[in-house]
Amino acid sequence: MAKAFPTQEIGSLPKFSWRTKPLRGTTLYDEDIAIAKEWGERLEVPGRTDLYKILSKRADFSEKEKKAIVDFALLYAIRMGETAGAKLAKNEGLDLVWSGEQARTEMYETPVSSMKGFEFIGKVRSFDNKYWKMASIRDAPTYKENYHIDELSFTKKHAKRKIKVPVTDAITIMSWSDNHYYTAKWAKEKASPLKRSFNARREFTLDLAKIIRKVIRELIEREGVEEVQIDIPAATQFQSVDDIKLVAESFNETTKGLSATFSVHSCFPPKLGYAILFPHLLDMKKCERYSFEYGNRDTFKRGVDPESRIGFADLKLFKEYGYNKGLGVGVIHIHTDVLPTVSVVRDRVLYSAKVTDLDPASLYINPDCGLRTRSPEVAQKMLDLVVAGAEKARGGLGGN
Amino acid sequence: MTEIELSLTGSHARAETTIQATQDWERGRVDSASLSAAFREDCDELVDLQRKAGADYISDGQLTTAWQDFLRPITNGFGGLKKGAMVRWYNTNTFYYTPIVEGEISSDGQAIWKKLEHRFVKGGKLRVAVPDPLTFAELAEDRHYGEGEHKLLFAYAEALNAEVRTLEKKGVSYVQFSSPALVARFRKKPLSEEGLERLGEAIKVAKKGTSIRTGFHTYFGDASAYIPQIFDLIPTDDIGFDFTQTDADSLTPTTKGIIAGVSDARTTYLEGVEELRDHVQTIIDRTGSRRVTLAPSADLRYIPRVSADEKLRRLGALKQELTEGGS
Repeated sequence: MAKAFPTQEIGSLPKFSWRTKPLRGTTLYDEDIAIAKEWGERLEVPGRTDLYKILSKRADFSEKEKKAIVDFALLYAIRMGETAGAKLAKNEGLDLVWSGEQARTEMYETPVSSMKGFEFIGKVRSFDNKYWKMASIRDAPTYKENYHIDELSFTKKHAKRKIKVPVTDAITIMSWSDNHYYTAKWAKEKASPLKRSFNARREFTLDLAKIIRKVIRELIEREGVEEVQIDIPAATQFQSVDDIKLVAESFNETTKGLSATFSVHSCFPPKLGYAILFPHLLDMKKCERYSFEYGNRDTFKRGVDPESRIGFADLKLFKEYGYNKGLGVGVIHIHTDVLPTVSVVRDRVLYSAKVTDLDPASLYINPDCGLRTRSPEVAQKMLDLVVAGAEKARGGLGGN
Repeated sequence: MTEIELSLTGSHARAETTIQATQDWERGRVDSASLSAAFREDCDELVDLQRKAGADYISDGQLTTAWQDFLRPITNGFGGLKKGAMVRWYNTNTFYYTPIVEGEISSDGQAIWKKLEHRFVKGGKLRVAVPDPLTFAELAEDRHYGEGEHKLLFAYAEALNAEVRTLEKKGVSYVQFSSPALVARFRKKPLSEEGLERLGEAIKVAKKGTSIRTGFHTYFGDASAYIPQIFDLIPTDDIGFDFTQTDADSLTPTTKGIIAGVSDARTTYLEGVEELRDHVQTIIDRTGSRRVTLAPSADLRYIPRVSADEKLRRLGALKQELTEGGS
């Protein structure tokens, strides 16, 4: 019998100072090295003493040493996933792991840096004091290099659990970029302003989808990856019906002719919630699982009733539209250090099962989104809660 | 002859040095005084740029942490509200914290005034953008008033009135009610005429007892469904449109001023002065308005600072051309 409420991470994990400083050319202090040692011992990272030796140099790292530091960051991240819940649950570890996107600058910057046609133009504020480095598209984008192959190869070799590679999708790259080239191209067309701007978005997106398909095809053919998570945080950004249809069209174009298990992650919709994506979301032909954020909007109250679990109300949409495949349920809000209890996470999991009426083996449990904005300590606690909450929910099946 | 004005209409992009300062501050590398100095310098440069571009009203750009999102001074400063979930701000990659209404909404009239850069009140015509009643009512989570959004709409308008009164008393010259909610409907139907009329009543409440110049600016969507009623039902001096979404051909004659969001705030693609001039000429021809304010289509916070400043300069060049050429 398949395991109920399997667990997964969404993608990113925070980067340790000993990972970021050497690549920025900043000198390491005692505290940075102490953190490497403390976490290395805690996670029992294989070969960790080699890392300590490299870091003891503190500055002027060679390219080879920098590469080794990043590789160790991948190992630390894999171990964080594989040991999650060690102190809270009987059985530690996530069922699906990744290496925390430690080899990537960021989920947008890495792919854009690896395509031709983009030019970075400056930072834009997303919320509070969080920014992204925006690139402007100045010519039709083309493939330059595969930006995930080395990361995948390393992760596959070292992970003991099943892996899932997250890949940023075309809609997100389009939405977070300055659409200079296509806006200029369509500005000359005789059409309404709305039609012109949509056409500029669509053409940009579909050009990107072809490049991303090539990247994924190589991951499948060269590294035999079995599971790919298509990351579409921007799925709910442009909200017209045509734009939502484009989200599905982009996914289908990206996965066309490819054979793997595909899932989709999205998060932080507008006030209307995920309803804005329905029913067109379900036109993604090869999607086996939709992993969305829900914890952000929930209460910290105990209970498996609609009021206590207000953040999970949108899950009912899947049932209403007759969806019967898999879901990933975000049970931890990732933009705060305030954490729910294990019991509340358990209730969130059980409520999700109740409201979707899906087989618990098809309900994956995860944090709302990637954990890169949190401290390593908090990120680890969040993963612990995912593992322990799901385990506790397994015990609660059949009677709440 | 149409009078041509120029103004920013909301939050501006932070300079790269300010961005660095905010990140350093978050990591404990600089203290709050250094961060404040960075914001001050940034704001001074932005105001200087507006003056050079020929702006008729000055915006402080809402650069500081008090304006982390457009609703934040309200969420933090009004009574009866608390901060809720993080939610996407319309069709952007930016986010706001939902104001949760858990009691009677109230204001001491200081919530917005306290967050402004006061030094620009004297000698500069300071323009302040605030969320209009519809935008607040639609984005807030009401746990107190119930019965649709009407009670909430007017409760917010009453509280906002205390703010507008203070702003006028302190010397602010222009209040803009920003209304993305009216046009960025996406999957929702446009507001009915009755709904638009109700919104007009709420704005009347927000500005009662004042004579300050006001504008009502719509952006992120197509406003053509509200033309011509919007000119009669919304009681502000100027009505604003995002002309990257609204077809200028849908405009009709009006005695109101027009805020002409002709420069696309969502891309660095820089429209030519000639292209913009033709666009503005269509607006003038269609409306016969006595006053057109040149503006970006929305806030300029959605592109990097260098590009945002370039957009403003281009609008300045447009104003000069239109003013010298005579419209």
